[in-house]
Amino acid sequence: MSISALLSQYGDRYLQALFTTWKLTAFSFLGAFLIGILVTVLRVCPVKPLRSFGDFYVQIFRNIPGAALLILLVYALPYLKVLFPYDVCVLIATTLIPSAFCSEHLMSGINTIGVGQIEAARALGLTFFQMIRRVIIPQALRSTVLPMTNLMVATMLTTSLASQVPMRPMELTGIVSYINTRSAGGVAAFAISAVLYCATGLVIGFAGALIDRKVRILR
Amino acid sequence: MKTSIRDMLYEEPGPKTRKNIRIFTILSILLIAALLAVIIRQFAVTGQFAPRYWNFFTRWTTWKFLGQGLWVTIESALTGAVIAFVLGFLLMRGKLRRNKILHAVSVCLIEFTRGVPTLLLIYFFFLIVPQTGIKLSAFWKITLPCAISACGVVAEALRAGVNAVPYGQTEAALSLGLTETRLFYKVVFPQAIRFVIPSLIAELVIVLKDTTFAYVVTCADLMQNAKVLISNYDAMLSVYLVVAVIYILINYLLNKLSDRLAFRLKTGTAERSAA
Amino acid sequence: MSQENTPVIELRHVNKHFGSLHVLKDISLQVKKGEVVVIIGPSGSGKSTLCRTINRLETIDSGDILIDGVKIPEEGKELASLRSQIGMVFQSFNLFAHMTILDNMTLAPVDVLKIKRKEAREEAMRLLERVGVADQAHKVPAQLSGGQQQRAAIARALAMHPKAMLFDEPTSALDPEMIGEVLNVMSELAADGMTMLIVTHEMNFARRVADRVIFMDGGVIVEEADPETFFSSPKTERAKLFLNSITAH
Repeated sequence: MSISALLSQYGDRYLQALFTTWKLTAFSFLGAFLIGILVTVLRVCPVKPLRSFGDFYVQIFRNIPGAALLILLVYALPYLKVLFPYDVCVLIATTLIPSAFCSEHLMSGINTIGVGQIEAARALGLTFFQMIRRVIIPQALRSTVLPMTNLMVATMLTTSLASQVPMRPMELTGIVSYINTRSAGGVAAFAISAVLYCATGLVIGFAGALIDRKVRILR
Repeated sequence: MKTSIRDMLYEEPGPKTRKNIRIFTILSILLIAALLAVIIRQFAVTGQFAPRYWNFFTRWTTWKFLGQGLWVTIESALTGAVIAFVLGFLLMRGKLRRNKILHAVSVCLIEFTRGVPTLLLIYFFFLIVPQTGIKLSAFWKITLPCAISACGVVAEALRAGVNAVPYGQTEAALSLGLTETRLFYKVVFPQAIRFVIPSLIAELVIVLKDTTFAYVVTCADLMQNAKVLISNYDAMLSVYLVVAVIYILINYLLNKLSDRLAFRLKTGTAERSAA
Repeated sequence: MSQENTPVIELRHVNKHFGSLHVLKDISLQVKKGEVVVIIGPSGSGKSTLCRTINRLETIDSGDILIDGVKIPEEGKELASLRSQIGMVFQSFNLFAHMTILDNMTLAPVDVLKIKRKEAREEAMRLLERVGVADQAHKVPAQLSGGQQQRAAIARALAMHPKAMLFDEPTSALDPEMIGEVLNVMSELAADGMTMLIVTHEMNFARRVADRVIFMDGGVIVEEADPETFFSSPKTERAKLFLNSITAH
C-alpha cells in the first residue's frame, strides 16, 4: 500500500497511536524519575539494609529483559492472585525498567560533585539537609540532563512493549502489526511509525540539548 | 579510608546519630522481612509451592531443554553483536568522513537505528520482509533486527573512542609519513577500541535483552523453550520466574565485567599519566 | 564570651588512627586570640589531619578539642553552628561549581546566619573587593584562575565572620605565579589580627607572618618555637634534616 492510501484508511489510528506512545512515555518517564529519586535516596542513605535493597532493586530492573518482565506481570502474577489490567501491566514494566537506569544516572551525577565541595559545605556550617538541598541536588540534576534525555528516548522505545498485549488504544508499534495482519501494509506501514518515533526522539533530544546548554556546570 | 561518595555524604556519626541509624537499621530489616513474608505467604496461599510446579526442575532433561534455548539466545546475541559491530564500524567511518553525502547518510542511519524500537524492526522482518518475497529463517528474523537496532549505538560508542585518542598521536604518525588510512588502522583504532570495550559489552547486554522477543518470530530461544515447558507442565509462574532469574544473572555478570574493565581502564590511564 | 586568656583553639592529648596507622600522637596545642600559628612538616606528618580535626572534618579517637574553652559538639545543629564560627580554606578551593562566586559567598550567610540577602550581597562584594576578585563576582568558579578561586574561597570563609581561620595547604594546588597573590591576602588577614592556624610548605611566608611555628613529624609535635629561633637554630635533629631537605634545592 502507498503511504497516502494508508493514511486515508488508518490516519486517525496512527494519530491516536502517536498520542498513546507519547502518553505512555510521559507517564512512564515521570514515574521512573520519581521512583529513581526514591531508590537513589535509599542507595545513599546510611542505613545498610535500605542501601542493599536499593542496589538489589536496580540490579533486578536494570538486567531483566522488558519482555520477561511484562510476561511475568501479565501471565504469571495472576497465579499469585495479583491481577492488573493490560495497560497497567505495560505501565509498570515501562516505568520500573527506566527507573533503575534513572537511579544509575543520578548516582553518577552525585559522583561528579566531589568530596571537596561536601566538606566545604560542612565547614561553612550548613546542616546535612541544607547541604543536600543547596549543593548535592542542584548539581546532580544539572549534570544529568543529557543522560535523562537519553533515558526519556529509551523509555519511549520501551513503550513498544505495549504491542505485546492486546491493549487499546494501540501505540506506534502495535499498529504496524495490526495493519499488517489485516492488509499487506508493506514498507509504508512500518515507515510511518518509524518516522513518528524518530521525530519524537529528535524533538526530545533537541529540547534536552537546549536545557543542557542552559544549566550545564563548568568544571 | 572512605572511598565512595555515598559514604562521604555523611560524616562520622556522633552518638545520637549512631543510635538513630541502629533504630532505622532494625526497622528496615523488619520492613524488608515483612515484604518477603507477604510474598512467600502469597505463594503458599495460592498453592504455588506445590511440588508439581517445581519437581521437574530436578530433572536433567528440563535443564538440557532450557540450555538448548539459552544456547540459541547466546548464539543470536553474539551473532547480532558481531553484525552490529561491523555495521557500527562502517557507520562510524562514514560519519567521520569529510565527504558530505557519506557523512549525512551515516548520520541519518545512526539516528534512525537509535530512534526506532527493536520491536518495530522485528515486526518489519517478521511481517513486511516476507511480503517482498524474501524468506528468512526464524533465527535471522530475530538476529538481524537486534543487530540493526544496536549498530547506531555501537557507531557512536566507537566514534567517542576514536575522539578519545589524543590528537598528538595522529600528528606524530602523520609526521612519520603514514597515510591517513594506515594511520587509522595502525594507530588510532587499536587505541580507540580499548576505550570502548566496556560500552560494547554493555551493548551486548542490550542485544541479549532484545533477543527475548524471539517468541514473536517463533525462534526457539530460551523464552520460547520456556513456553514449551510451561505447556508441558502447566507451570507458568515457576518457569517464568526461573527464566527471568537466568536472564538477570547473565546480564548482571556481563555488566559487572563491563564495569570492571571500565574501572581498570580508568585507573590504568590514571596511573600512567601520574607516572 | 571567652575570657581574654582562654585560647580560641585548644587541643588536649588528641589521638587519632587511620586503621593501624597512628596519625596523631598525643597532640596538645593552643592558639590564642589574634595569634598566627603555622604548622610545617613533611607530607604524611599528620599536619593536615590535625587541621581538619578542629572543625571535625576528621574525628578523633581520644583527647579533647575546645573552641573558646568549649568542647566541640559531635553532631547536629550544634556542630554546624560551631563550624560556622571557624573559617576553613582548602587546598583545592572547593568552591561550589554550580554557583557564581557571589552566590558562593552569600549561601552560608543567608542560609546559616539568616542574614538578609541584600546585606549579604553587599558584604560579599566588600570582601571580594578586599581580596581583589570583585570583578569576577558573576562568573562561576571554573572561569577563574586557581589563585582567584582561592582568594574567593578565603572571602567566602570571611563572610561568616569567623573567630578563627584554618588554612589546609592553601597554596599547594596553585601554579607558582599565583602563590604570591594568595599569600598576600593571608598576610593582610594576619596583620588585621585574625586568629589563624596555617598548614603550609611556604617557609618564607611562615617566617614572615607566623607568631609561632610548629614542626610536626610522624604524628607528633617535634618542635615549637617563634619563627626566628626555629628557622635559624632548630633544636631537634629532625627539624634540621627537614629544613635542610627543603632548602637544598
